[in-house]
Parts: sequence; structure tokens; C-alpha cells
Amino acid sequence: MIDATYLCQKLNFLVGDMEVLEKLSRTPAVACFSDEMVGFLSDLSKELLKIPNVRQYSDVLSFAFWIRKSSLEQEKKKHQLERRIGRGVALHIAPSNVPVNFAVSMTSALLAGNACLIRVSNKEFVQVDMICTCINTLLNDKWKQLKPYFCIVRYEHDELVTQELTNICDIRIIWGGNETIRRIRMAALSPRAIEMAFADRYSIALIHSDSYLKMNPKEIAQKFYTDTYYSDQGACSSPRIVVWLGEQVKEAQTQFWFSLSELVHRDYELHPIQTIDKLDSFCRLAAYAQKNGIVVKRITDDNYLYRIELDKLDSGVFEYKEGGGYFYEYVASQMEEIIPILGKSCQTISCLGIDKDRIMEMVKLFGVRGVDRIVDVGETMALSFRWDGYDMIETMSRWIDG
Amino acid sequence: MLDTFYELSPYELGANEKRDLLTKELKELTRFHQSACPEYGAILDAWGYDEKLVEDYQDIPFFPVRLFKELELLSIPREDVFKTMTSSGTTGQAVSKIFVDKDTAMAQQKVMIKILGDYLGKKRLPMLIIDTPNTIKNRQMFTARGAAILGLNIMSSGMTFVLKDDMSLNQEVLDDFMEKHNGEKFLIFGFTFMVWKHFYQVMKEMQQRYDFSQAWLMTGGGWKKLESEKISREDFKTCLRETVGIQHFLDHYGMVEQTGCIYAECEYGHLHASIYSDVIPRRYKDFSPCNIGEKGILQVVSVLPHSYPGHSLLTEDEGMVIGIDDCPCGRKGKYIEITGRIKSAELRGCSDTYADKLERNLNNT
Repeated sequence: MIDATYLCQKLNFLVGDMEVLEKLSRTPAVACFSDEMVGFLSDLSKELLKIPNVRQYSDVLSFAFWIRKSSLEQEKKKHQLERRIGRGVALHIAPSNVPVNFAVSMTSALLAGNACLIRVSNKEFVQVDMICTCINTLLNDKWKQLKPYFCIVRYEHDELVTQELTNICDIRIIWGGNETIRRIRMAALSPRAIEMAFADRYSIALIHSDSYLKMNPKEIAQKFYTDTYYSDQGACSSPRIVVWLGEQVKEAQTQFWFSLSELVHRDYELHPIQTIDKLDSFCRLAAYAQKNGIVVKRITDDNYLYRIELDKLDSGVFEYKEGGGYFYEYVASQMEEIIPILGKSCQTISCLGIDKDRIMEMVKLFGVRGVDRIVDVGETMALSFRWDGYDMIETMSRWIDG
Repeated sequence: MLDTFYELSPYELGANEKRDLLTKELKELTRFHQSACPEYGAILDAWGYDEKLVEDYQDIPFFPVRLFKELELLSIPREDVFKTMTSSGTTGQAVSKIFVDKDTAMAQQKVMIKILGDYLGKKRLPMLIIDTPNTIKNRQMFTARGAAILGLNIMSSGMTFVLKDDMSLNQEVLDDFMEKHNGEKFLIFGFTFMVWKHFYQVMKEMQQRYDFSQAWLMTGGGWKKLESEKISREDFKTCLRETVGIQHFLDHYGMVEQTGCIYAECEYGHLHASIYSDVIPRRYKDFSPCNIGEKGILQVVSVLPHSYPGHSLLTEDEGMVIGIDDCPCGRKGKYIEITGRIKSAELRGCSDTYADKLERNLNNT
């Protein structure tokens, strides 16, 4: 049973209140892609698009587009739904590096038919406030009947609170680093509850130099910027390494990094602390590489854009990854050379000028443990109902057999 | 090597002579550490270091001081480690480990004497330490606070710790000290925040008055904590002058990674670089050196570190060079100002760490 006084002191509600929280475990689950949830989300989309300066926040904008009615209807068609219903309460522990992530996680849980209890990061983001304000507007007016399905809270890390919230959930979704996962897991799940943990991952970009040289370098730079600098290269899906294939690698490298550098110097706000972080990671990498027989060379001396060439591929180097424009580079004579870095921690392969089916074939052929996503350069931040190998809707709901 | 330096007084060299001497010495040190410390050698290789391209000591690579928290860096066999100095850190935070052998320890002390001697004279002085005797109890693992205090030992004719373990003032000890050294010149040493909180604020409330007119108040550990409480360096001095009667102030900037090479404050309030070390403020965008008067991230170089590769480091402090060779106090070399710490830098430091811990404890009760 919830210790209401204690929780009341610790929780700061952005959406919902203690009353909703206390009744959450008795809130009825709903069918997957119910008309109400689809209706609510498409209204949320409209509400978000009404915000005068929403265009300044391309992450909120893409979220709003993603939950438009037509987009949801399209997703709905992909599932067999007649015997699917939500599991009950979904507890989301949202990460501190991607502001709209909580809303993306919420969307899947709602469509799967669950009530949502969300812990957002203590780091304050305008995007979080924008989305919560719109949710409140809808819940106080047109969608009063859905009030029992929403609690969005902030709290300082507190094991007792996490345990109390865990006690009422049927699915726990943990976003964030391995350390967060470890800490949250100290709160035991009830026997029937399931968990989806999204751990630290790294991602890879694979570029065919000859194809690249036939493309518009400015356009590609913009796409790659969206994949990396736009989120301070802090997302799991942000490429940490660029692997080059093809004949004209030298020319392609020069063109690619020059175009990117121009854009970065124009658009990216570099913070002094990042320059120290990068140098520090570089030094630790150098020490690691030497012990493991890898030759590393720093190619540029630009604090906005670190290029570090590796003569061998080894997943250990990703322990020394860094954000804000810090890239490993490797020149491969054939695609299979990347197999050693496709272990469990590898999430997304973004590619340019390479047949995605061939990568898929390679993943199956070698039976690697990683790679949950193969997309085009520029698409790593695209929102999806499938993440880290999970079909979000199906995992968050249950199928009634019979 | 260092003998050339020892023949000179610490603020004797003008810019050009100092540059030549430092460049030669630091190039040699770089070469030594490159072959003696495998991790350092690996960093230089990856960096693409080429000694032939070094025209000035500004061209020598540097790495973040933080690296001492993450790697054990030493340029001597482990059995030659004479003492390990650590930066203070709150529980759970990594601490820097600095491995010092006998030679490096001796050089640190020698230079400390030379630098402080220039301010305080050659004679050893009685010292009143605003800290607890516990700070220096564990001789195997020194904290930055402990290391700073012990570093001064060689300048002292006797150290008296004036705080009890609970940080309250030990008045009996203070009375004894003041009686014994009545009318003599002596040194009071403490970290800025500790002096303010556990000395000044207690003295302010006390009925009894002491004569501190012959005392030099030496401080260190930074101003961040006091400035966050809206107490400026000037306020600090004014309060201590007017309420406690202290006339001579000697603040300093230094770090456990470059012990010995302190930047001490002259009577004009400037922190001076001696011939043994230097500060190079750098622009964060490309790490190019700043102009005089331009704020940047501080790189520090020192000719003392032989047992560990700490001769060229990038700090997380910000500051600027105010001038070179022309301070009215007559000391040559750069004089600098420390303006603060880089935003969202990991908490580091000595009295500041203590202050944060204290604040947390207060909040918890």
C-alpha cells in the first residue's frame, strides 16, 4: 500500500496528483489502439502544433508529427489487435539526455492500453514543460475521462519512492545509463510485472565513399549533424564511429569532414567543459589502445570536431566514447571487418550508399548479439514503435488466447 | 637540470630568459616521461607529438588534471614511491593519485621554501594552523589540505593546530600560542572557507582580543564557496583586518598535482608565477593561448614533477594573465588572476569540498 504522506512530500506532480496515483492500480486497462487513446494523442499533436514557437524545437515538432492521427492509424494496421489489451500500469523512468523521450515512451504505453506513471529527469527542459502543459490542457477539458491514466512526476533519487512506484506497476521501462538501471533495479518488481531496460549503447555510421562523392555534401552534413551534434552526440543512436568503404576514401573523408566542420562552426554551441571532456577521453583511449595493440591517431586539432583514426576495430574503444563531436574513424576494405564491434552494446547502424539488406544478411549470417536498427544517415533520431529490438506495443500489452 | 634554477632567485628572470630556460627544461622532462611512463608515451604518440616542432614551452602537449583520477600515472618503479598524495574528494568521488619519490618530494620542499622565503623571509616561523591535527594523521595518503599543511612544515619552527576534531576553536591552545609568541612574527595558515567559518566568525563573537598585528595570514583553496555566499576577497580582507586585526595577507593558488610551485600573492594582490612554473590561459575553442587580460582555461607547467608526468596540465580553472614582468612589487614573470572554475566542472578542490560536505550535513539535520 502506498505510504501517501511520504510520497506526497517527495513527489512533484507535473501531470496528475496523489489521488490519481493512489487509484492507479485499479484503473482499467484498455484495448490496444483504442479510439480514446488514438483520439487523445492526435489531439495532443494538434495542441503541440498550436504552440507559437514550436518550430524552434524540432524534437517536439517531430514528436507532434509522429502522433498525428494518420501516422497512428498507419501503425495500427501493422498489428493484429482483436485480442490485445494493456497490461495495466506502465512506470517509465525517463532519461536526462533526450527531453522528449518520456513522451515517446508514454505514447507506446498508452496505445498498448496502459495507464502511465512517468518519472521525468530533474534536469529542467522547456520541451518537457511544453508537452506537460498540453497534456494538462486536454485532461482538464475535452479528455477529462482519461485523467486516471496520467501521472508525470519529478523526484530526487530515493529508493523508497522508487520501490513504492514499482509496487503498483505492471511494466517498468527504464531509460538511461547502466548506472540508472542498476539503481532502479534495487527496487524489486512484483512477481507478474515485466521490465524493459534500455541500457547504454553505441552506434555506428557506415559510408560508401564512392557513393558519397556523388551526393550533395551540404545535405549529407546536415543529416549527419542531426544524428550527432543535434543531441550533443549523447543519444545511444548517435554514431560514435564512421567506417569508410569504397575506393575514394581519402577524397570522401576530406569532403565529408570539411562540410560537417563548416556547419558545426556555424551552428553548434561548444561549451568549455566539453573541450576538457574530449581531451580527457582521448587520453584514456590512447592509454587503453596501447595496452591492446591498437594504433590511434588524432587527425584534427579542432576542439569542435575530434577525428580519431583507429587501425583496428575493437568494441573496447567505445568505453572511451565522448559527446559533442568526438568520432572514431576506420577504413575498411570489406564490410565484414565491422563484425567485432557489433556486440551487445551496438544499437544502430546508419548507412549511406550501402544496401541495408546486405547489412541485415550479414547480421544474420554471423549471428552477432548487437544491431537493433539499420537506418539511413539522418534517420537515427527518427521516432519508432520498435526500439532496442522490442516491439513496444506488443511488449507492453498482452494477448488473450482462445 | 634543476640546479640552474636553484642558483636563481624565484622571480629573477624576465620573460625571454624564463622562456628559454623553461622550454629547455620542459622539453627534457617531456622526453623523460614519454619513455618512463607508458600511458603518457601512448598519449603523446596518439597526439602526434614531435619534439622538433617545439619552439616554446607553450607548444608542449598537456592533458586534463582529471586524468590522475582515472589512471595511475607514474614515471618511476613503484617501489620508489615515497608518498602518495591525493586530492580530497567526497565519498564516491574518484580522487587524484600523485606518486612522489624522494627526489621530487625534496624539490617540492626546496622550491616552496624559495618561493615563500621571498615573501616571508628566510627565518622559520611559528605557525598557527586553522585546521584539526587529524588532517595530517595518515602519512601514507595525504589529502590536498594535509599536503598543503605538511608542505609548509619545512618553513615552520613549530605547528599549532587550533581546531578540535569537531571544528570548534580550541581556545586553550590559541591562548598558549599567543602567549608564547607574543610580539613575534608568525604565520596563520588555513583554507579560505575554514578561516572564515571557524576562525573569523568565532573571533568576531569573542570578548577576548588578541594581537595579530605581527601575523601573516596565508590562505588557499579557492574563493568559490565564499563568493557563492556573496563574500568577496576584499570583504574577507576588510573583515579580518578590522575585526581580528590582521595586517598581512598571503593568498595562494596551487594544486596537489604541482605541489611546491605555488602562485603567491604580493602586496598588490597579484598572484605571481615563479621561474619554476607558469600559467598559460587558453581559449576553449581551439586551445590557442590567450592574450594578456583575456580569460581562458588555465594550463599549468612546472619543472618539478619527475616521479609522475605532471609537468604540463590543463586545469578546470579559469583565469587570466594581468601582466608580465611589470608588477609594482618588483617581481618578474607573469602575474595572474584566478576568476573561477569552468561551469559544471566536477566538484574538486579542498576547502570547497569540505564546505559542500558541511552544507549537505546541515541540510540533512
